[in-house]
Amino acid sequence: MPSKITVENVSHEYFNPNTWQRVHALDGLSLEVADGEFLCIVGPSGCGKSTFLYLVAGLAHASSGRILVDGKQVERPGRDRGMVFQDFAILPWRTVERNIGHGLEIAGVARKERDTIVRRYIELMGLSGFENKYPYELSGGMRQRVAVARTLAADPQVVLMDEPFAALDAQTRNVMQEELVRIGMHERKTILFVTHSVDEAVILGDRVVVLTHRPGRVKASIPIEIPREQRRWDVLGAEEQFGRYRQDILRLIREEFDAQERVTA
Amino acid sequence: MIGFARAVAPFAAFVTLWAIVVAVFHVPQDVMPSPNAVAVAFGDAIRKGVLTVYTGETIRRILLAASSGALIGVAAGFFVALNDVVADIALPVIRFFQSLSGIAWLPLFIVWFGFSDKTIVVAVWYTLFFPVLFNTVVGVKTVPRVYRNAILTLGGDWRRMVFDVLLPGAIPYIVGGIRIGAAFGWRVLIAAEIVIGAGGLGYFIFKAEAFHLTARIVAGMLTIGTLWYLTDFFVLRPLEEATIERWGLVHR
Amino acid sequence: MGTRPPLARAKQLRGVLGFVLLFAIWQGITSSGLVKPIALATPEAVFSVIVAGIADHSLLINTGVSLERLILSVIVAGLLGIALGVAVGLSRRFGSFVEPLAAFFNAISGIVWLPLAITWFGLTWKMLLFVIANSVFFIIFFNTLLGIRTVPRVYEQAVFTLGASRWRSILDVIVPGALPGIISGLRLGLGFGWRALIAAELVGATQGLGFMIYSAAQYLRTDVILAGIIVIGVIAFTLDALLLGPLERATVERWGVYQ
Repeated sequence: MPSKITVENVSHEYFNPNTWQRVHALDGLSLEVADGEFLCIVGPSGCGKSTFLYLVAGLAHASSGRILVDGKQVERPGRDRGMVFQDFAILPWRTVERNIGHGLEIAGVARKERDTIVRRYIELMGLSGFENKYPYELSGGMRQRVAVARTLAADPQVVLMDEPFAALDAQTRNVMQEELVRIGMHERKTILFVTHSVDEAVILGDRVVVLTHRPGRVKASIPIEIPREQRRWDVLGAEEQFGRYRQDILRLIREEFDAQERVTA
Repeated sequence: MIGFARAVAPFAAFVTLWAIVVAVFHVPQDVMPSPNAVAVAFGDAIRKGVLTVYTGETIRRILLAASSGALIGVAAGFFVALNDVVADIALPVIRFFQSLSGIAWLPLFIVWFGFSDKTIVVAVWYTLFFPVLFNTVVGVKTVPRVYRNAILTLGGDWRRMVFDVLLPGAIPYIVGGIRIGAAFGWRVLIAAEIVIGAGGLGYFIFKAEAFHLTARIVAGMLTIGTLWYLTDFFVLRPLEEATIERWGLVHR
Repeated sequence: MGTRPPLARAKQLRGVLGFVLLFAIWQGITSSGLVKPIALATPEAVFSVIVAGIADHSLLINTGVSLERLILSVIVAGLLGIALGVAVGLSRRFGSFVEPLAAFFNAISGIVWLPLAITWFGLTWKMLLFVIANSVFFIIFFNTLLGIRTVPRVYEQAVFTLGASRWRSILDVIVPGALPGIISGLRLGLGFGWRALIAAELVGATQGLGFMIYSAAQYLRTDVILAGIIVIGVIAFTLDALLLGPLERATVERWGVYQ
């Protein structure tokens, strides 16, 4: 079966205006993602994980190499590759309802149908009662739910998530993770999930890809063979397998971290 | 080199457009002179020493008012800001005087000092003083309490507090205040020179109007604009950029 | 939202106290004999001038004329300023051409055009309108521009990943996001306009507050001057502080953009 996403030897460099330096973010990164796969991407800080996501989204252009989604090269952002941003990025001047429905509005979906879909996602994401609230009235966790709901409501085939739970407190984070697992089982979408947290990667992913330090490329790819029904924090704690995956991945990241230290030392 | 050309291009294009419009529509010289006529008037005024003398007077006034107004404004601002209650009492009043343009005080200053150089300088000083004072107070008050606490737990005294924490912390606001004050002050200066008539570029262009020397008016206006633009570009904006944009308040 | 916490109330009272103290100082200076009576009129004298000016409508007329000129100028300059600001903010090419010119003309905005405006329009209301609108235009233009540029990129990016076109992102993200800047510009424009107006009226008007205080100076009537200054100041203060507050609250603060 052909891959949903094919990344061919992508390298990327850009100019950072804050540090006044050229950053060589990625170097020869190649990857294939199957349709409906939940892929988690981890790696040491600065390894280019977020940059990679932006390239798949089409918000930036790779310096060399190419990225294909459904066999077509990625040129610009679009509805088919929805993205959930680290700082939520929901519009402060729209209510929860209007934010979630934004993608549908853009696609020209009729009012009635739009309302139905929005209502479904509000329930799905546990936002009932908050339809007419503005973002500033919501907690961080709720805002993130709105962001996720917005992306899902637009019905993309690929969902890109850039450390979406990083700004949340620990409890909210765990709840969101379990919800994402539940939604992942429910909706058949290809998900690319970037995170700093190995625990998060293991609980969420069908497969975890570890990137090398900058310039990033794929260091290892580890399938997670824990059934989805068991991906809950109360269950996993006891899981030996979980612990082992965790150890292995942490070790790989640590290797890269140390290697990076040596390079910059 | 290319950067310079690119910077000059809009102006060159504008001047060209100006020359064309004046020629094509046969605009009378005393309504809108051609760029050439303006250049001639420029040279004439410089040769006669008129432009240079008046420009010198204007510059002297703004420098005098700006330096003393800013320094005293910052110092006074620190004093006011040190006590929260005092600051609360003073801020609305300061804001009132900041809103009330120095130009409105001219008639009163005329009664006090007559149609003199002093009147002009006082009006400009006033115009610069209040924005700087206001912004300094706000700036100092805005320095987060944690920084002040940090310095205290490091054993810092009031000198350290002021120079290591409050001044650097308040600098973006202070610079903003100076920039606003200077912008207002400059305009008040020209306006006051027009009203008072004691020399200066304002008087230069006003007198030129009385004699229908439109080319001279435009030459004067360009001088004023260039002076301000240069001050803003080479002094004020870099100062502001070095402080405010570093704080990440403006995305370009 | 809507109820004032106790600290804010205390701040308000202290602010009022500030003005009370100011008055007290004024009264003190005039009654102590520190200055010649001709140099500084007493609060009482100024107050009676204001009352008389309201009774015979002269003060009201002058104030009304000045305000009329201001509002007209701001409307004209505002529409132009916002339109051009949006155009420049959206197009980098257009902007790199227009912006340096605007920055330069900004340096000569306002009163500097007075002599030229008198040459063109004589000592008429058109001249005043031109001079005032001149100052106001640039402020509104630059603030609109700033408003557009400070819309966080991530909002645009988010909307792109929802499939929005460039046009759509302008309507849904840039314009609402730029609103704080535009409102700032309008508020500042009113303030700037008022200053330019007073200056222009000092020189080139036969009615209005600026004219009133300038002609009073010829007769050394510091009571009339101060009465005029107070009215000018109160209006200036109001324009700078209160006028657009409610408008801001209704839109921008509701969105929490100013958090």
